[in-house]
Amino acid sequence: MMKPMECLLEESAKVHGHLCPGQVVGVRMAILGCRLIGLDEPTQRDQIKKLIVYVEMDRCTADAVSHVTGVKLGRRSLKFMDYGIMAATFVNLETGKAFRVLSTEESRDLAQIYAPEVDKKSVQQLEAYKRMPDSVLFRVQQVQVNINELDLPGPTRQKAECSHCGQVIRDGRQVVKNGKILCKVCTDNCYFSHAREITWPAMNWSPHNGILKKPHIGIKKGMVFNKSNQVISKEKI
Amino acid sequence: MLKKIRVEDAVGEKISHDITEIRPGEFKGAAFKKGHTVCDEDICHLQKLGKNHLFLIDLEKDEIHENQAAAMLAKGLAGPGVVWQNNPKEGKICLYAQTDGLLVVDKATLAAFNMVDEVMCASLHSYTRVKKGQQVAATRPIPLVMEKAPVERAAAIARQNGGALSVHELKQVKTGIIITGSEVFNGLIKDRFAPILKQKMNDLGSFDTQIVFAPDDAALIQAAIQKHIDNSCELLILSGGMSVDPDDVTRKGIEKAGATEMYYGAAALPGAMFLMAYINDIPLMGIPACGLHHKTTILDLMLPRVLIGEHIGKKKLAFIGHGGLCMDCIECVYPHCPFGKGM
Repeated sequence: MMKPMECLLEESAKVHGHLCPGQVVGVRMAILGCRLIGLDEPTQRDQIKKLIVYVEMDRCTADAVSHVTGVKLGRRSLKFMDYGIMAATFVNLETGKAFRVLSTEESRDLAQIYAPEVDKKSVQQLEAYKRMPDSVLFRVQQVQVNINELDLPGPTRQKAECSHCGQVIRDGRQVVKNGKILCKVCTDNCYFSHAREITWPAMNWSPHNGILKKPHIGIKKGMVFNKSNQVISKEKI
Repeated sequence: MLKKIRVEDAVGEKISHDITEIRPGEFKGAAFKKGHTVCDEDICHLQKLGKNHLFLIDLEKDEIHENQAAAMLAKGLAGPGVVWQNNPKEGKICLYAQTDGLLVVDKATLAAFNMVDEVMCASLHSYTRVKKGQQVAATRPIPLVMEKAPVERAAAIARQNGGALSVHELKQVKTGIIITGSEVFNGLIKDRFAPILKQKMNDLGSFDTQIVFAPDDAALIQAAIQKHIDNSCELLILSGGMSVDPDDVTRKGIEKAGATEMYYGAAALPGAMFLMAYINDIPLMGIPACGLHHKTTILDLMLPRVLIGEHIGKKKLAFIGHGGLCMDCIECVYPHCPFGKGM
């Protein structure tokens, strides 16, 4: 059995950093999503591998969904679809069943009716979202999700090498251009530009060799030092 | 799916929905019922109604006709004491009171229902007193054909907490009335409160009323309360002594009698100094002197609610503020006025 909503909400707010209306929506979205695909405790060992969640927004709600379901980016059980939509799809890998739960726009307008005694808007939303039934807070679509084998959790299934920079590319994320394998960085469709390799201070630090030393001050002609070797003047005496 | 055809080409086809005719001041209703087979003579009539085209319906999987949708919506909306017939007229179903009583509308649910696209329900105000058979609401989907899922969702929203609309019979209670005030108790002036309160209870269907008089003395008011409770009164109404003068000790008397809850002050005029208290499950209502002067006060707003078993607390006394100002008309037409209906 899942923990009670209030308990999940408290935990989620702690992990996320604050309690907000989006947390309530996310916690409830996750509870409903898991219920629909037949998982009653998704964070338990026997259920954790059955679940994949696609979140369609990078907002507070996403963190709450992730916390309640236990899905994680690094486990490949959390997929981020950058749609800007307050929705998440819950997939049961065992049964193939998938439901997309959408937060309704009208629930925002209805907050003042469900919690009329609360005057501050965000607190009112938070309280109202706790009170609304699922039918008011969400719409649900049954959907089909065709998951590429290369997107599934588990060990790396494929490795390739960029013909341009030599970078190893995992899980089929390479691009083939003019018959050549390229990593996405070497295509025109990369999120950064002007890459230039650099060196950095204390390059030889490791957890084994301990504390970072204070940055070295270059001694220049004309500098005046006190007994503690602090610079007290840059002017020539 | 809807297929549009010319009226002239519709002979022999079945009409897919009621077609409304309006003759101002004379008639509004279905000129043609759903299922009617169009014949040659109908063409001219349809054209006079502004219909040059008709829809033929070919329902896709997951689609439903407005009549089927209306029935699903009505079923969801109707809570205890509300009845309806699956006989939609022009796509609309009316909902009626099953008994005399008080209509209660779950306003949040109704609002949430109406926020779903393509459905609607309009009702009378919550806490309107209704007669058996009186229409309390009507619902309909907006389009002729619609997807089933949103209708099902709207119906699910409607039936939360047992239905958005309910009619509750007013309970008949044995009422203990306490008329406070030394001026009345000592015979300096004649009491006029008791007949008013008795009449109000009679109007609400409770005829068993007991009246006790008490001076402005907290201990004696306490004793009067106890006497009514001992006589198994289920509701107590106390008049007077609710104000701010030193002689206004009714509140003290209620406190001494062992009030388990007490809320003094209400957002209504007349009735600001109204008091609602409970001794365990027994409600006590303290009505200030305004109840003597004004035909309708906070007491008229709250009494029916108490009689359907509603528990009145601070929130409910505060929320009546919007619409809680009586217009003080020369001739009072309450309940056919906005007083107390703005919640």
